[in-house]
Amino acid sequence: MNNINDEILNKYLDEELNREEMNRVRIAIETSPQLKKKYEALLSANTILKNVESDSPSADFTKKVMGKIEIKKASANQQKYFLFTVLSLLGLIVCGITGYVFYEVIASIQTSEPSGLVSNYSNTIGDYLSAFFEKKNLSIFGSVLSFIMLISGYFLYDYQKHSKKNFGH
Amino acid sequence: MVMNNLTDVEIIESVKKGNQADYAVLIDRYKNKAFTMLKRMLKNEFDAEEVLMDCFLKAYNNLNSFKFESKFSTWFYRIVYNTALTKLSNSKRIIESEMSSIDDLHYLQSNYNADDFIKADNSLLIKKIVNELPPKNAAVVSMFYLEEMSTEEISDVLQISVANVKVILHRSRNLLRDIIEKRNLLQEIL
Repeated sequence: MNNINDEILNKYLDEELNREEMNRVRIAIETSPQLKKKYEALLSANTILKNVESDSPSADFTKKVMGKIEIKKASANQQKYFLFTVLSLLGLIVCGITGYVFYEVIASIQTSEPSGLVSNYSNTIGDYLSAFFEKKNLSIFGSVLSFIMLISGYFLYDYQKHSKKNFGH
Repeated sequence: MVMNNLTDVEIIESVKKGNQADYAVLIDRYKNKAFTMLKRMLKNEFDAEEVLMDCFLKAYNNLNSFKFESKFSTWFYRIVYNTALTKLSNSKRIIESEMSSIDDLHYLQSNYNADDFIKADNSLLIKKIVNELPPKNAAVVSMFYLEEMSTEEISDVLQISVANVKVILHRSRNLLRDIIEKRNLLQEIL
């Protein structure tokens, strides 16, 4: 009996011993009232642990989690649209600048004899763009562009912060 | 009704395909057991619910990285256990918990006297004792008895050896056995 310790009793309970050891422990339990009492207490501890009921979170827990997932999904979509808008705006500006550069290059090639409807139109657009990209206008345009970018950056940062906060709580 | 009969894998595949609402079935399936484990680990109902919510959101966000190499329950309980440890460490309660780790389990006995067992409902009292187990023991006991996970699965969740899981499990069980023996509760329980 003496060599049957707690560990062996636990293994006996979990049926982790080999057949021979299982028999040895079973006989020891049957012959020793002290060991029997110890084993029965261990058995009831095991039964109690098996039967302890689980607790439940608040009744609307699932709804709350699904709500947060929904918010997260919506904010991710909004973020996508916002980025798309900002990038489109920047794309348009880049296109404008590229167009102007192309116009200047073409105009410099056709300096000698400008004729026909296309040339007239290109001249008009060219004049307009030249006026627009004058030194003074260019600095205003640069300032506006920088301002737009700064504002966009701020709103993007603020929006992300807000979305994170909504998602986290 | 039909969704409830589906396996975890089928539900996850459905969620991955875009049926976000199906995730609610997984939440309903695991929330009570995971909540019980967290409540036992964190010793606080409010924290347990907050951490559980965080765990379900983490699991949802990382569902695409779940490759079905292990059971969803193993993967999910690893998230639950690690998030609980982070919460404990943030709350600096880990120091206290470490002090009452495996070898000091018997401190619990002194908290209860014979009168408690006479006056109070035994099941409630035992529930209270189980709730006071140190975090790691509470996690092992919950996963083994509530979730009916094998010691191998638990070792996978806790990232410790199977032998260590068994040691924790046996010591938790022995603690309860000692209380039963000391208070002569055997007749009442059996």
